[in-house]
Amino acid sequence: MNRAVGLAAGAVLAVLGACTGDLDPPWQLDHDRIIAVRATPPGIAAGGTSAIDALLGMKGGKTHVAPPELARVVSPASLSDVLSFQAGAWVVTAPGEARLAAARAELKLAADAPVPVQVGVSYAGQTLFATKTIELGRPADNPALVNVMLDGVPAGPSEIIVGKLVKVPLSIDADDTDFDVTWLTSCGTMHDFDLPNAYLEIEADDPEAGELAVVLRDARAGVAWNVWSIRAE
Amino acid sequence: MLFRYVTIVAAIAVIAAILAGPEIAAAQEPAPESPPPTPAPALPHDLPVLSITGRVIDALGKPVAGASVGVEGGAQTVKTDRDGNFRISAPIGSTLVIDRDGFDPALANVTAGKLDDVVILAAGTHSETIEISGEAPPASPGAAVLDRTELQRIPGTGNDVVRTLTAMPGVVNLQIPLGYSGVVIRGSSPQDSKVLIDDFEVPVLFHNIGFRAVVPAEAIQSLDYIPGGFDVQYGRASSGIVALETRPGTSQRTTQGEVSLIDGGVLAQGTAGDRTKYMLGFRRSTIDLVLPSLIPASVDLSLTTVPSYYDGQLRLDHELSANWRLFLSSIATNDVFELYATKDEDARTKRFYNNTRFLRLTLGAQYHEGPWSAKLALSGIAQEFVFEAGVYQRIRVQQPTVTPRAEVMRTADHWAGLSNVVWRAGAEAAVGRSTLDVALPIEQREGEPMPAYDPKDTSTRFSGSFWVPDVAGWTALSANLDPQIRTTIGLRSDVFGRIHEANLEPRGELQIKLPASLTARLSAGAYRRPPEFQSENLSTNVGSEHSAQTIAGLQYEPREGVRVQTSAYYTDRSHLLTHNMDGSLNNNGHGTTVGAEFLATYRGGPWFGWLSYSYSHSTRVDAPGADRRLFDFDQPHSLNAALSWKHGRWQLGGRFQLYSGLPITPPIGAVFDSDRNLYIPLYGKVNTARAPMHHQLDVRVDYSWTWGPTDLTVFADVQNVYLNDSVVTYFYSYDYTQRQAFKSLPIIPSVGLRGVL
Repeated sequence: MNRAVGLAAGAVLAVLGACTGDLDPPWQLDHDRIIAVRATPPGIAAGGTSAIDALLGMKGGKTHVAPPELARVVSPASLSDVLSFQAGAWVVTAPGEARLAAARAELKLAADAPVPVQVGVSYAGQTLFATKTIELGRPADNPALVNVMLDGVPAGPSEIIVGKLVKVPLSIDADDTDFDVTWLTSCGTMHDFDLPNAYLEIEADDPEAGELAVVLRDARAGVAWNVWSIRAE
Repeated sequence: MLFRYVTIVAAIAVIAAILAGPEIAAAQEPAPESPPPTPAPALPHDLPVLSITGRVIDALGKPVAGASVGVEGGAQTVKTDRDGNFRISAPIGSTLVIDRDGFDPALANVTAGKLDDVVILAAGTHSETIEISGEAPPASPGAAVLDRTELQRIPGTGNDVVRTLTAMPGVVNLQIPLGYSGVVIRGSSPQDSKVLIDDFEVPVLFHNIGFRAVVPAEAIQSLDYIPGGFDVQYGRASSGIVALETRPGTSQRTTQGEVSLIDGGVLAQGTAGDRTKYMLGFRRSTIDLVLPSLIPASVDLSLTTVPSYYDGQLRLDHELSANWRLFLSSIATNDVFELYATKDEDARTKRFYNNTRFLRLTLGAQYHEGPWSAKLALSGIAQEFVFEAGVYQRIRVQQPTVTPRAEVMRTADHWAGLSNVVWRAGAEAAVGRSTLDVALPIEQREGEPMPAYDPKDTSTRFSGSFWVPDVAGWTALSANLDPQIRTTIGLRSDVFGRIHEANLEPRGELQIKLPASLTARLSAGAYRRPPEFQSENLSTNVGSEHSAQTIAGLQYEPREGVRVQTSAYYTDRSHLLTHNMDGSLNNNGHGTTVGAEFLATYRGGPWFGWLSYSYSHSTRVDAPGADRRLFDFDQPHSLNAALSWKHGRWQLGGRFQLYSGLPITPPIGAVFDSDRNLYIPLYGKVNTARAPMHHQLDVRVDYSWTWGPTDLTVFADVQNVYLNDSVVTYFYSYDYTQRQAFKSLPIIPSVGLRGVL
């Protein structure tokens, strides 16, 4: 049993890191980072295509969506040719059923299972790296952002204006056991950033303007996001 | 949020660790009636007779009232008053004999009109220890035996076994023992050493919060610290042994209680009838009562169950006959907490729960007649560990185990040309039934950098039960080859039933008495640790870890109260369990540890001094052809210097520590796994950096007085008095682009009150 105690203590240690003091928190948008990589769609049938792009955050700048500067298939190597650069975009094209069947055999997957292709992407002159999975052989769509409420009102396309030194409730209709929700901001302090119901507080010394984003991931590599300008008054 | 919550958990632990103040100190221990002083020669008549004043105190510096003070060879006696003071007429150069029920007689030379305090020791203080260790094998080079009195006097350790162990040479010192629950000895993993209470293993040494030992010092009779080269009676460990003996009750009834910012407890002891003694203790944490008020309201944390612990101790000793003694001992402990890393208690993904508890019950019998002795025991343990993190990750372990054990010993003055011969043989069978429900990531093993934390990762899954039957037998022969040379040779056999493995482990020791109070010792042996750490016992196709230890030592005892010992050791480790690429286990690892240790202790009058230093270099190779790397807990230098002084009602103590930081594997980058929303760190060479050296000074002040029938002591314990908040390790931002030093809290005092009735 003492072995298990050590294991639990290790698990506690494992999550100690990214949390205190001067370290940028995971919800900080004002940071050079890849926020999410998207394949549209994330699952494709034989012969289908999927385009890859990503939501990027830049310190001192605004978020933006861009295709990868470089990309390649990480695994399986036998499907490295499914990725190509077409008309300024990186595109995955699912091969025919025969190659998918061979890939399933290679990966020891069930006969009807989708074949995961992991693609590596890079940005910012190969200083930011990420991986993204596209499932071949079974169509799937990215999730939808449902019932997003910002400061008590349904989210729209316009800039959000919130009060300072108050709790600004944020919510999205998603079960946090099935979906991964991330709220991010460059204006204020985010609380419960990885729960469907979060809140934002803008302190006196926080930037009074910035961006607010929500990213929703499902269990099948689907992802969706939205970004709003936000200002505190 | 989970990150934040765990941070708070860690912070709590840090606070508690530094708060961890001294607890129960010795009660004034009445003991069996002492023999009368030996008749002395007649009082000389030609010396000037003066009015002599002085004071009698016990080992803890408390005044001893009612002690009889007389001049050796004379008829006059006086009694000490409530403050231990006496006045008697005696000639310069004569000897005073001090006697009191429950204490060993003491002598004091009359050198002036006012004498220094005379310390008398509780009767049986030493004999209790000797009695217990007398049937034990000789300790190996570098080992140390501390009785309760010594445990309570090592300054800066706060009467706590965990902190006392950190003062031992060979024990890795760390401000906060995060990540393990045992003792790191001589460059080995915590699981390589065993903690025994009354000869049987216990699963945890300290409570989750505060890092307090699961047994208070007041309930401990003695502590055997054997960092290596241990006897054949000990097994299932490849490094060291920490053996605690619970305290038999005293012949007179006493009750005591103590409360501090960490915990509070009561302990009662006495006799039941003519032949039975009892000791009963109970302790509960108090830190949980104050903790909620220490957490700022701005923190997103909900303590559904505030971290708390209980522990209890029971010991009964019964003299069945002149030859037989029976004892029953029980140790129980329970740690629990539940919290949500958010104010929203419906957020199941933010839930964190832990419950660690065990109950060990041991029934033993000791027999002695002529040259034969025997120890028989039947011990059982019920243990459970539950850990749940979020929705997906959990582990529940239950492993009740029953262990019958028997050892016989035969002594002979002479046999086959040898003298002072002791032969021992023993056997034990530990039969456990392990029930596990596991859904966790593949665990991080020693030498593996910390992986990214994915709350949905349940790569290790198991649900079921299996038997864990282990059997062992041993025999050893100790004898003098010469009046100056004594040797012990032994053989142990361990059968680990779960993995169908049998082992033979020869061990031996040679002691040579040298001139000038020196003793040289050399020991060597083979040791095995079965695979039972973390998920190891889920694999039946791996074997035990091996070690071969060689230790040489010198011991110097120039006079009573002074002891100096040094040792040097080399440990070769093989068949170490390491991960394959797919997460399964193999026995491909090996490693070595080389080191040297020094320990000097001084006990004289009101002074108690302790100086220890360890040098160690421990490395590992994880697979054939792999680079040799530093061991995770490699600590080249560790120095402990402690001193305490008692005068009257006051006791002052201080402890200075200086030790190396532990190795660190720095990340060199990270790749973002967009599907899991997780950064996967990329590490450089393992353990190629190191945390800075740490030093600190701890001080403690006790003040004792009597209030009616109660002896009271108030104490203050302050650790790290000069605010050295050195780095423990580094934490990294979520994407590993930033790092921040994780420092120990600089200073936190602990205060408490103890009463003995």
